[in-house]
Amino acid sequence: MERRSFFKILSSVSAGVAASSCSNKTDTLIPLLVSNTEIVPGEEQWHPSVCSECSAGCGVIVRVMEGERTVERQGHKFRERIAAIKKIEGNPLDPVSGGRLCARGQSAVQSLYHPDRVTAPMRRKGTRGTAEFVPVSWDEAIDAVSRSLNIQQSADPGKILFLTRPESGSRSATIQNFLSALNAPPPLTCSLASFAVERKASEVVFGWRGVPVYNLARARYVLGVGADFLGGWVSPVYYARQFGEFRRGRPGVRGRFIQAESRMSLTAASADEWLPLLPGSEPEFLTAVTRLLLDARLARDPEQLPPAVLNSIKSADVASLARICGLNVNRLERITRDLGESDAPLVISGASSPNTNSLHAVAAAHYLNALLGNIGRPGGILAPNQDLSPLPLVGSVSEKLKASNFLLLDYQNPVYSLPAAAGARETLSQLEMIVSFSPFIDDSSAYADWILPDHHALETAQAVVPAVAPGSAITVGLPFIRPLYDTRALDQTLVAIAHKMGKSLEPVTPERYVKSLLPPDQTWDQVACRGGLWQEAPKPVGNEVPRVAEAQAAHSEIAVSPDLARFPFYFQPYLSLQFHDGSGANLPWMQELPDPVSSAMWNIPVEIDPQSAARLDIRTGDWVRVQSPYSSFEAPAYVYPAAIPGVVSMAIGDGHQHYGRYASGRGANPIEILAPVLEPSTGTLALGGTRVQIARLDRAPAGFVQFSPRDREQGPWGYR
Amino acid sequence: MAIDLDRCTGCQACVAACHAENNLPLSDPESAAKGRAFHWIRVDRYYEGEFPSIRVKHMPVLCQQCDEAPCEPVCPVYATYRNDEGLNVQVYNRCVGTRYCANNCPYSVRFFNWFDPVWPEPLPLQHNPDVSIRMTGVMEKCTFCIQRIQRAERDAASEHRQVADGEIQPACVQSCPAEAMTFGDLNDPESKVSRLAASGRATRLLEELGTKSKVFYLERSE
Repeated sequence: MERRSFFKILSSVSAGVAASSCSNKTDTLIPLLVSNTEIVPGEEQWHPSVCSECSAGCGVIVRVMEGERTVERQGHKFRERIAAIKKIEGNPLDPVSGGRLCARGQSAVQSLYHPDRVTAPMRRKGTRGTAEFVPVSWDEAIDAVSRSLNIQQSADPGKILFLTRPESGSRSATIQNFLSALNAPPPLTCSLASFAVERKASEVVFGWRGVPVYNLARARYVLGVGADFLGGWVSPVYYARQFGEFRRGRPGVRGRFIQAESRMSLTAASADEWLPLLPGSEPEFLTAVTRLLLDARLARDPEQLPPAVLNSIKSADVASLARICGLNVNRLERITRDLGESDAPLVISGASSPNTNSLHAVAAAHYLNALLGNIGRPGGILAPNQDLSPLPLVGSVSEKLKASNFLLLDYQNPVYSLPAAAGARETLSQLEMIVSFSPFIDDSSAYADWILPDHHALETAQAVVPAVAPGSAITVGLPFIRPLYDTRALDQTLVAIAHKMGKSLEPVTPERYVKSLLPPDQTWDQVACRGGLWQEAPKPVGNEVPRVAEAQAAHSEIAVSPDLARFPFYFQPYLSLQFHDGSGANLPWMQELPDPVSSAMWNIPVEIDPQSAARLDIRTGDWVRVQSPYSSFEAPAYVYPAAIPGVVSMAIGDGHQHYGRYASGRGANPIEILAPVLEPSTGTLALGGTRVQIARLDRAPAGFVQFSPRDREQGPWGYR
Repeated sequence: MAIDLDRCTGCQACVAACHAENNLPLSDPESAAKGRAFHWIRVDRYYEGEFPSIRVKHMPVLCQQCDEAPCEPVCPVYATYRNDEGLNVQVYNRCVGTRYCANNCPYSVRFFNWFDPVWPEPLPLQHNPDVSIRMTGVMEKCTFCIQRIQRAERDAASEHRQVADGEIQPACVQSCPAEAMTFGDLNDPESKVSRLAASGRATRLLEELGTKSKVFYLERSE
């Protein structure tokens, strides 16, 4: 660890923990709520916490110094000194972030100090969807919500629907306890970043719960299939760190990396070779590679596979499979040989844009890894950080919404993350009651009857189980600044509602959550001081390989719109690093961060290949209409030289009707026009299952802003 | 500084880190359209070849801290000069806003404040008190996080020791998940950055201009 980082950790004294092992350089102990007078001007303090911007659960350290804000009391404005967060960095002790942090994680401070946060509980004033609210007191809000929840609960608790983040930890444990006290069904998630297909495949094939860990840093030859693991996938910081090691971290060894993907993503751009796959052809690609591996007698352990799988692979015809993928057989043979002959081969597979056959693709990659004999070995697939409490399920949220009466929203935005054809807006306007805990008024909270705003993650206590971690890991964050507004932590709100309803509910505090797992040589104080509980990675299992079970015998067809002549383009919305599932769009730093592909700022373009663009007379910056059989939107076009002909992509993030001043009314939502087709095994929305047509609009090219024009020499030179 | 393009993934963590550390003004769609957005460090992308054998390459570009800096001789008021440590620094309260320096910079890394920056309340709570906020009419650019350099030097001096190699990390270097960026003392031949700069993989951006820049790019292998 670097010296500076070491001091940072030493000097961070965690909230309210009088731990003898923690000491400050200046020997001041920082109490739970820092009083204004205890912030010494110019002196910095670093506190461990958890990043909640995505479910990767990176451990962070937070720099706290004196800040000033304007407050209004009894009509008078004055300046108040408070402890303020200045910067967020990765926690060097955390095995996931390792002291590093992505752009989105660093912007969490902007959601804390966002000018459009909900500052107090509110009641709906106007009609649903108009986002007109009046502030009320907490007592009034809790009274009203618990009264109507009580009525619903005694009538039919099955019609209570709680939507939350795809996250496992103390917070989600409290939610689950709350719902079981009410006899209501367990929470669901409608986030597009749930990675349910990856979880399901690992459960089906290996019997593991959670997303498997790919030990990229120790692999030598890596074939990535459909997983944008350096971009908006499960744990971008962890995999970027591993990638650095893989490339240049070992003296004399440089890992070789081939990426097969239907889009030139950040990951594909970092690869030595990119295999442009047609969307949805990942299972065919992997079957072809597996067949070639068996033919070349490079499979190390063919006995690993279930016989049915082995037979179906042996009967596959490589030439026709390669044609479906749009690839050349010789190229596949070369890559298969290199993969099979490598000392430490690894196949990383995922569904960054899930298709209806994605489970089959990820499972096929697991079989390939089993044949390569790398399961549970260094440089191979390792068992996941097992989820301690069950994760919220994904399963067909739009159906469940229609069947429910009482909706509780926790950072979930079904109006945004479901296609227009799923009818979320109509359903939400008809529900009996909607309660939102979101700290922002988003497209779905605009329909809420009550908003009971949660604290920001940095103002609250929580323990989070990271989605991907080497070994077993829980990241812990405790509050070290005073909440900025009249908000309440979700667990407090739920406890208050439960008590009003006459139910008993104990919140699951991070301490309670961690305590049962504490090894004898560690104390809770130590865990709180370091920002997490991390245990050694389990020893490589050697020859003892988990059972490999059969996923699905038959390929499921990928769903496409029937009229291919009218809708000739594949359309694939994707999760980007900055906006992820769309929830990052309200942060000004993320809006002005130039897109890694198009360099676009403040507006997300539609990526189209040069050939199709020339045929349709579309140039970068032109406005186009993207029309699916269900709906359409208008957006600027970006002619992407690395786009696959006939495949149109767009990052998810824009197109919010309500989401604060930086996102409201900006750009278009690509989810809106999707066919309401689900991946059958998990109920995840199939992002890649829709075909579209594209037409240029006769509108002056305006509104498309790039930070760097494509060719800097041709662009305005030195105009800044 | 050395930047390993073989490690860099183009994720732009460095860009966000720079904004957080250095109180960069917020842009809006209108000002960005006029080319007035601020990014002291940016990630340039290059396309090589054509589909299907196309390559996309990413390259972080920040002030190259040139020894023969084209921006310096054109400043009429010595607002930009090289300090004792070889840093190309900008003195905000000397700057009169001629913008000659930005015009002369071959790397396009200088940014002019056409207006006073605006942050809606309570966003200013995030501001780093170690870095001054620039006002209308002033040029600004990457400082290699001079405030972090000074802090590390002060800490080392108070403990009566030398600054250790790797102890100083500008915000971009600190944040980089792939550890593509290395910062250190180029005058010390034993430092990690000197060893990387002397390796066969190192090149400098627009070296033919003779700017003697101090950012070394380690080329991406095939």
